[in-house]
Amino acid sequence: MQTYAQTNILDAVRKVIGDQRPEACYQCMKCTSGCPAAKVSDYRPHMMVILTKAGLAEEVMQSGIIWACSMCLKCKEYCPQDVAPFDVVTALKNVAISRGYKPPEMLVGMANNVLDYGYIIDKPMTITTTEFEEVSRDTLGLPKLAHPKDMEKFRRIASSFGYRRLS
Amino acid sequence: MKMYLYLGCTTPAKQYAYELSLRAVFPRLGIELVDMPDSNCCGTPLMGVNRFYNVYAPARLMAIAEAGGLDIVAPCNGCHLALSEAAFMLRERRHLLEQVNSLLKEEGLKYTGKVKVYHPVEVLYGLVGVEKISSAISNKLPPLKFACHPGCHLVRPSHIGRPEKRDGKLKLEALTEAIGLQTRDHPEKYECCGAAMIPYSTDAAIKTVAMRIKRFVEGGFDGVTTLCPYCFDMIDGKQDAAKTITGDRSLSIPTFYYTQLLGLAMGISERELGLNLNMSPVGSVLEKLRR
Amino acid sequence: MVEEPKVGVYVCHCGVNIAGVVNVKAVVEYASTLPNVVVAKDYPFMCSDPGQNLIIEDIKTKGLNRIVVASCSPRMHEPTFRKALERAGLNPYLLEMANIREHCSWVHEKQPQEATEKAKELVEAAVAKARMLKPIETVKMPVVKRALVIGGGIAGIRAALDIANSGFEVYLVEKRPSIGGNMARLDKTFPTLDCSQCILTPLMVEVAQHPNIKLLTYSEVQSIDGSVGNFTVKILKKPRYVNEDLCTGCGICEQKCPYTVPSEFNLGLGKRKVIYFEFPQAVPLKPVIDRDNCVYFKRGTCRACERFCPAKAIDFNQQPKEITINVGAIVLATGYGLYDVKTKMPEYRYGLSKNVITGLELERLTSATGPTKGAILRPSDNREPKNVAIILCVGSRDEKHLDYCCRVGCVAGIKHAYYIVSHIPDAKVTICYTDIRAFGKGYEDFYGRIRSLDNVQFIRGRPMEIFEDANGSLYFDVFDQNTNRLIRLNPDLVVLETGIVPDPSFEELAKVLKCSRGPDGFALELHPKLRPTETSVDGVFIAGVVQGPKDIPDTVAQAGAAASSAIALLARGEVESVPNVASVNQDLCSGCGVCEVVCPYTAIVLEARNGGRVAKVEATKCKGCGACAAACPSGAMTQLGFEDKQLIPQIEVLARGR
Repeated sequence: MQTYAQTNILDAVRKVIGDQRPEACYQCMKCTSGCPAAKVSDYRPHMMVILTKAGLAEEVMQSGIIWACSMCLKCKEYCPQDVAPFDVVTALKNVAISRGYKPPEMLVGMANNVLDYGYIIDKPMTITTTEFEEVSRDTLGLPKLAHPKDMEKFRRIASSFGYRRLS
Repeated sequence: MKMYLYLGCTTPAKQYAYELSLRAVFPRLGIELVDMPDSNCCGTPLMGVNRFYNVYAPARLMAIAEAGGLDIVAPCNGCHLALSEAAFMLRERRHLLEQVNSLLKEEGLKYTGKVKVYHPVEVLYGLVGVEKISSAISNKLPPLKFACHPGCHLVRPSHIGRPEKRDGKLKLEALTEAIGLQTRDHPEKYECCGAAMIPYSTDAAIKTVAMRIKRFVEGGFDGVTTLCPYCFDMIDGKQDAAKTITGDRSLSIPTFYYTQLLGLAMGISERELGLNLNMSPVGSVLEKLRR
Repeated sequence: MVEEPKVGVYVCHCGVNIAGVVNVKAVVEYASTLPNVVVAKDYPFMCSDPGQNLIIEDIKTKGLNRIVVASCSPRMHEPTFRKALERAGLNPYLLEMANIREHCSWVHEKQPQEATEKAKELVEAAVAKARMLKPIETVKMPVVKRALVIGGGIAGIRAALDIANSGFEVYLVEKRPSIGGNMARLDKTFPTLDCSQCILTPLMVEVAQHPNIKLLTYSEVQSIDGSVGNFTVKILKKPRYVNEDLCTGCGICEQKCPYTVPSEFNLGLGKRKVIYFEFPQAVPLKPVIDRDNCVYFKRGTCRACERFCPAKAIDFNQQPKEITINVGAIVLATGYGLYDVKTKMPEYRYGLSKNVITGLELERLTSATGPTKGAILRPSDNREPKNVAIILCVGSRDEKHLDYCCRVGCVAGIKHAYYIVSHIPDAKVTICYTDIRAFGKGYEDFYGRIRSLDNVQFIRGRPMEIFEDANGSLYFDVFDQNTNRLIRLNPDLVVLETGIVPDPSFEELAKVLKCSRGPDGFALELHPKLRPTETSVDGVFIAGVVQGPKDIPDTVAQAGAAASSAIALLARGEVESVPNVASVNQDLCSGCGVCEVVCPYTAIVLEARNGGRVAKVEATKCKGCGACAAACPSGAMTQLGFEDKQLIPQIEVLARGR
């Protein structure tokens, strides 16, 4: 039987920076009604909020459904109680990572690339044009991209606020 | 006028058409684009990984720009949002500002909030102006019907102030009309392209953009235009995938960056504007525009 | 009068409220050591009969002439103890209270010793002031036995009738051409489904025919001067360009008028003529010419109404008339308007899509006197809708719009579902709700009736937005928490139950009346539970939705309550001036005029004296706020009961420390 026991998730969510107010939600369903992710997956922002409020969010962190959010910010824009489901779920994602839950594989790569190169993509891609030509940043004569001058320092500073390599 | 060009991650790594067309068009309108000496990801795709990075990284970028004495133009909606929202939060929360500046200090940087961050839509509409654009173009385009897709982050969250409003005509629509094209309202104009769902489920993301493309097709538009590399990547680049996943063969529509269309109206070559990089079937429209 | 002060100190236990923390006996003992204190006693409940009698007895037998009561806040019982002093034959303003409850025992519960010391100090300070108190005589002023009701909706009508039935004269001022307000726009009223006009018009006629009611329609209040019991009100009667004495209400002018404009009464649906009756049951049944749209006024031509009028009642030269009246009491009943969903919530497409309408607009469609003669037809193509979505809570309970509940939306939405299915038997209705509030008498039953209908479905979910596709069809998604499904609806008509706000005319009136408004914009009552019809301005009462969202039964009840407050004032026939009025020493006054500027009640004027000018306080207008006395740079202005020589000894005790 589930109890409203795991309130430490609620505290953890509150500690993440952002405008989240899960306690204010009165479950009007407006967020889920307009949510693009809800239309194409089982993601339900109103559920994310009420589970967080009730301290029962462990399950959704585990299932990974929290990563389905499309970041459209409609829920934040229209929420009548300024709960901002988006902020709650983003905080929940941060908490999930801190508790060792893995995000989608692609994000792992992106997150680590930032620590290595400063960007989510390690190097500019080679694209095929409609005339079947292969082009890349260099061949198009675009200037070299600047990176953080001191990547070591960059990594250290990132680490200081909890942003570490994901495995 | 000189501005730092903050490209983010996606544009310089794969959305070359955007960068090419920007670099072609802006100088001809009096905006000199200066490359940033030091740059990093703004953090928007990684908000779920580390929310604080999404405040620190924009502050770092704006501090670098401040050190260089120029304002920033950020062509990606996500980047523009990251920078704008970070600026908003740093204005509102003193404690956060101190925290961020103590980190920036290690690199000899400081954030004071002086730097202004623009999106190309704001530069073109606000700084250059629709009138100047109308008079700067040599080849006014024929009045083809175009749908404008601003993208979520250009419109929301409105309480921090965004370049576009959900009400009345878009600045992007005014700009599109300034070069001779026609715009029309269409449902789901402010809806999401689905890009951020790609890491979670490509299927879900494609189904989402498919809904947008369906509305463009139903509206009888000749083409779509946008000014965000993510939205373009989805709308222009995923049409085949959309057809496959939904089984709807009608999901096809020529998609352009507005800067590409503006460049054509200014007489710039298709090559210089990267028009050979668009994946959607732009050929038919280009023919009409060439005449 | 140099009278030796003989102070009586009475310390209340207030049950355990005070005595549970403060050592009352110790305070009494301390008080008895203070100079001029003749008597010091304690009692469990000073405000009770025996408690008060204790004071009265001591005044009579021990010749006490200053009383200090150490108890609760003066806001609770100052009037009680003042009356006790009066009964004992002592001037009621020779009383000083020490608040040893709200300011002491209630806030220092965990520190009884310190609380007791503080109580002793507060009592000593009160005694210090009490010694210096002087008797104050108030002035009784006659009340003008006439009332003004602003707003001719159901609240104003009810209040006016109640006051008039008590034998007092009432002016009822309404800015629109007819009385009736928003209730006149309704088709049926919930939950009984009475025809709104049928229950309203008899009252409207009663108002028109009542010998004690002077009805001023198409009129607006311009300014209000004076104070309780004696207000001077300037009213502007706008010209109808129709001589009301000659007009018979035959309606030929309206028939013959060749021009139409959108009808305000029908909320923009349908048209009316330029010379028009607001609605068929209008009271007074006289037309009005809409000057801004009248071709005669714009171009000098037409004059069809004048030509055809059998009573020769058209008068294009009619001028606005300024009417000045004197009243003793004012009832404010200006009603409500709808939240501006068109500008503030463009995502619902109200104003963009023709088939998105408000609940009030639906009332006009279903009304027999409406633009479609009672047929529910889609505005876009005049066809019957078969699939209607009713959305509740549009703009209400929303921190980004109106944070309060509109109170009537739920049952109005349920009523609207009933309208649809009873007019169009094969129609289906979907109600998208958040929480159903069916609190009133008969409401739950009504909800149950409609809930049980097969062609009405209730979805628990608030849609975010509405879309219109390329063919003009509406669609939207809503998550139904009841069945746990995300549903797409394709209604052919959408009805929005929007939030309600005070009528726009209230904004200006509130300034004119100096009536306080709450954070939600509605008129602020003196106490939300116990004094719902009184305002911070004496003699001004509020009734109906101007005070807050409410349904018709509550509006009528509150109108009766406001009327009764007004009647009490008029029946009393006199008001007492405030005791703590400002008083100016004209010999010290330099005529700088700061006091006049600072006074919120225009109670100070500057008059000529000895070649210069000095301030003069009109005691009847003064409310004893003290602002002028505080602002006066030369010490010429004082406030009775708060003079420097009374306050300084009080401060000296408190500042002394222990």
